[in-house]
Amino acid sequence: CRISSDEKPAKFQPPPKPVIIDKQKQREERRFLSPEFIPPRERTDPLKFYMERKDMIQRRKVFNIPEFYVGSILAVTIANPYANEKTSRFVGICIQRGGKGLGATFVLRNVIEDQGVEIRYELYSPRIQAIEVLKLEKRLDDDLMYLRDALPEYSTFDVNMKPVSRLDHEEIPINTLQVRMKPKPWSKRWERPKYNIKGIKFELPEEKMKEAQKWNKPWLEFDMLRKYDTSKIEEEIWKEVSEELKK
Amino acid sequence: MMPIWTKSGKKHAVTLLKVQDCHVLRYISKEESGGKTSKLLVGGKNASPFFKSESTMELFKEAGVPRKQKVTTFNVTDDAIIKPGTPLYAAHFRPGQVVDVTAKTIGKGFQGVMKRWGFKGQPASHGQTKTHRRPGAISTNKAAKVYRGKKMPGRMGNIYRTCYGLKVWRINTKHDIIYVNGSVPGHTNCLVKVKDSKLPSYKDCNKNPPFPTFFADGDEKLPEDLYDDEIFQFANPSVTYA
Repeated sequence: CRISSDEKPAKFQPPPKPVIIDKQKQREERRFLSPEFIPPRERTDPLKFYMERKDMIQRRKVFNIPEFYVGSILAVTIANPYANEKTSRFVGICIQRGGKGLGATFVLRNVIEDQGVEIRYELYSPRIQAIEVLKLEKRLDDDLMYLRDALPEYSTFDVNMKPVSRLDHEEIPINTLQVRMKPKPWSKRWERPKYNIKGIKFELPEEKMKEAQKWNKPWLEFDMLRKYDTSKIEEEIWKEVSEELKK
Repeated sequence: MMPIWTKSGKKHAVTLLKVQDCHVLRYISKEESGGKTSKLLVGGKNASPFFKSESTMELFKEAGVPRKQKVTTFNVTDDAIIKPGTPLYAAHFRPGQVVDVTAKTIGKGFQGVMKRWGFKGQPASHGQTKTHRRPGAISTNKAAKVYRGKKMPGRMGNIYRTCYGLKVWRINTKHDIIYVNGSVPGHTNCLVKVKDSKLPSYKDCNKNPPFPTFFADGDEKLPEDLYDDEIFQFANPSVTYA
């Protein structure tokens, strides 16, 4: 065996494996399953989720619900019996996506004439005429509720904004914007580790940040009963949904 | 529970009830039962034949049907009698009918007077000594006794209760599911008894129901989904106001 200059037997290192990057496969691998299709971990019969999914797929065949994430800017037009042209349009940033199944909702936030406005829409409501994605992007967090306590410039978006064009195969850009906040008090103590927010530029003194870490629960991440592994369920549901939508 | 939208854009909450292996078990005539009308015994979900005595199994052996988890009685008029052993399906009901649903409520165990009967309790501070959720006085001085039926702490829930006047919005004949308006007593996946409504204001709601029941091997071939007239069906385009 070979002896290195240190006079100890050298450990066998296998040669590096060649990595083949197949660009076509990369394009197909990116699949997006809307989060409301994944059923919660409950004692209900899976037949109930199957019936809901059938209804959701039927609605998607007639009306296009685009792919969007929390942090993307959307424009929604709904039928309104009390408006002039019977339709009303609202543009805003999606700060939260909640609910599972047919009752899935999303909240859009915008600041209009110095007044912050948040509207919660139901994805599968028949009153929605159109959903357009003006800018598709992700943010560092899943929940942007802290925008209520941030400076209003981070929540203002032009109502007549033009949709930003993007290519199909590009990855969704993650906006690493760190938001500056209004002076405390805030509606929630966003510096606490419970909310796990990465998108705020905390300008608080060090002692306050250390005090907030007192509420840290590092054992939660290792709690096995809280884990809900959805990978297999997602695969099956993705197959079902994509087959039905292709018909 | 699921949301459902009408053609005018309003949202209603709906409970899904599955008709799982229901069979008619026995016919009891008016004279035998001693009541005003004849009765039909109906059995629910299938269960294992073991763990039960022979005498209880006789009822199921007569009808030629596997052992059922729940057996209920329905008061029936003489023209609606069904032969024991016939299966019952969800298509027995039609959308637009109004229905009463009976089930055992969720058991809450031994509960105090505030949760069980909705008493107000006592204030949290201002000098209250060890008295925040207690019933307070239980009777007057002159009565010199506690009346029967006094509301006191005890076991709450796990009793039969009925929700009246629930509208049927939709019926799925393939999976035997009834979509019933509003909420229904009982926990998820509990056994439930569904009857035609007894409320006088809904007497004329049941127009041309399948009488005495819907027979699967008959000539009628129903579509997979039966909807009420006012429901928004997802195959249609979005709702607009003129």
